[in-house]
Amino acid sequence: MIDLETRARVQDFLFEEARRLDAGEFEAWLDLYEEDGIYWMPSQRGQTDPLNVASIIYEDHAILSIRVQRLLEARALVLTPMPYTTHLVTNVVVSMDEDGLVKAASAFLCISMQGGEQKIFAGRQTHTLAPAGDSYLIRHKRVDLVNAGSALPLMTIPI
Amino acid sequence: MHTDPSLTPEEIRAMVRPDSVHRRAYADPQIFDLEMQRIYGRQWIYLAHESQLKKPGAFFRTRLAQYEVIVTRHTDDKVYVLHNRCPHRGARICMTDSGTSRLLNCPYHAWSFNPDGTLSTVPHRESYPASFDMTDPKYHMERVPHVETYRGFIFATLNPDPRPLLDQIGPMTDIIDNLIDRAPDGEVEIADSSFSLVYKGNWKLHLENAADIFHPTFVHASSVGAARRTPAGKSKMDQDQVRTMLEANGFGKDQWEGIQLKGLANGHTYMTNFYRKGVVAHQAADPVFDRYKAALVAAHGPDKADAVLAVDRFNNIIYPNLVFNAQHQQMRVTVPLSHDTTIIRVHCFRLKGAPDEMFHRAIRFLSTLASPASMIFSDDVEMLERTQAGLDLDPSPWVDFSRGLDTETAGEGGQISGVASEMPMRNQFKAWAALMAGEAA
Repeated sequence: MIDLETRARVQDFLFEEARRLDAGEFEAWLDLYEEDGIYWMPSQRGQTDPLNVASIIYEDHAILSIRVQRLLEARALVLTPMPYTTHLVTNVVVSMDEDGLVKAASAFLCISMQGGEQKIFAGRQTHTLAPAGDSYLIRHKRVDLVNAGSALPLMTIPI
Repeated sequence: MHTDPSLTPEEIRAMVRPDSVHRRAYADPQIFDLEMQRIYGRQWIYLAHESQLKKPGAFFRTRLAQYEVIVTRHTDDKVYVLHNRCPHRGARICMTDSGTSRLLNCPYHAWSFNPDGTLSTVPHRESYPASFDMTDPKYHMERVPHVETYRGFIFATLNPDPRPLLDQIGPMTDIIDNLIDRAPDGEVEIADSSFSLVYKGNWKLHLENAADIFHPTFVHASSVGAARRTPAGKSKMDQDQVRTMLEANGFGKDQWEGIQLKGLANGHTYMTNFYRKGVVAHQAADPVFDRYKAALVAAHGPDKADAVLAVDRFNNIIYPNLVFNAQHQQMRVTVPLSHDTTIIRVHCFRLKGAPDEMFHRAIRFLSTLASPASMIFSDDVEMLERTQAGLDLDPSPWVDFSRGLDTETAGEGGQISGVASEMPMRNQFKAWAALMAGEAA
């Protein structure tokens, strides 16, 4: 059984991650990842294999850092005008595995606005969080889009 | 709906000049309808790969010109291409992109069809009139008349009297051969996962962009810069494959030197000598590649293995709908939907007999280049969409493609130019004008 305090701390962590993305604080967003942390957005529903099956994003800190630099760099064409997002995180279920890592399953909605065009991304995500001080760092984040596998619009700011 | 585009060959010809093309080629829905009739409706069009149809009953859904079609394998092992429409009341039958099914069923009045399109059963047979002959093709799913396969690559045409497939794609089959030769077991298999990207732009814009090596320096500057600032080996995931790929779009004069553009008959183009100056060159120590090469040498002998691996052609465009990169086991398929909407389907291949890691690299290349979150193709798509928007908005008639006009030369089999040339676009439009005017390209 997860105590309420832990649950609140995990939720706060997820909300803070969403806030940093929405505020355009992308470097601070990347600071939430461990040095070996991995971000995985599969291309198929129920995908288990990131090597033999294509992924929308399967990146570690070093590659995510390129992504972040690109977001902050004025020359990224697809980012002019700069998109803005609102990330909603809800239905949070927290559990603990044997290694003391926190698993947080949640549902998300990401509304992105760019140049007068609004896009909606939705689905479920699973964070594996390692304790760090009085908070956490992301060891692994898996994002499952509800429309994975179909023709998708371009995605610029991460979920 | 489908209009009857009544343009004379002279009017078509007048749209393409030596150094420019009329904006109508991109912005006029009437021209798009004519393209569907005279290019996608008359040429051989790539539809699917045989490895997607391993067993009888296997099917793959795609488009041919303005029609949705299903590519199937029948119990006689032959491949058929069927219009995705029930001959009874017209309902769309197949609602999934691929799968295996012994019969294709229309759920409305439960007519069911064999994979070759013939009618298998209708319920309550006795309520149909005596004249209802189940063997009459008018009650079958309509077949596309001509289907041909080149070494596993399935092409079809709506043209009732087509020229032989090889007359059209002949000059480019060497790059399909090269892809297959790269497999130690002499066979390739298309990966189950692929990406379909929709962009709001004309189908030709993608082919022009794929033949244009002048733009990456500008269009991909943001990811090149970030990749250059990231130390080699910092990512532990993929032997630096993604970082190297992103960085490789930073072309300078050094990388350009030596690259040649080739323009062949029928609108085909490619770039060659691509890796001489280290663009996407293999790393010095690459144990995976060494194991792969050993398998290839064992299969082909050292001389042929070297020759196969030495082919360094990039973005081989088989006009009008295929782009091949054999050395990365990649293929892109252009699927036009309307004058300003196009799907690009991006696939990769497994080389049979090669180490699994070679397939992992192909998957990684596919994801890095063509995922919806790609840091490369997203910027290309942005430019294609801005180009379409500009052409749609503004009535100025002429689109310029004059760069390199004075320096291209006629060589063996076609035109040759240096890298900073729009010759490939001129070459594509030469074929386009001929096909649109109703002449052979």
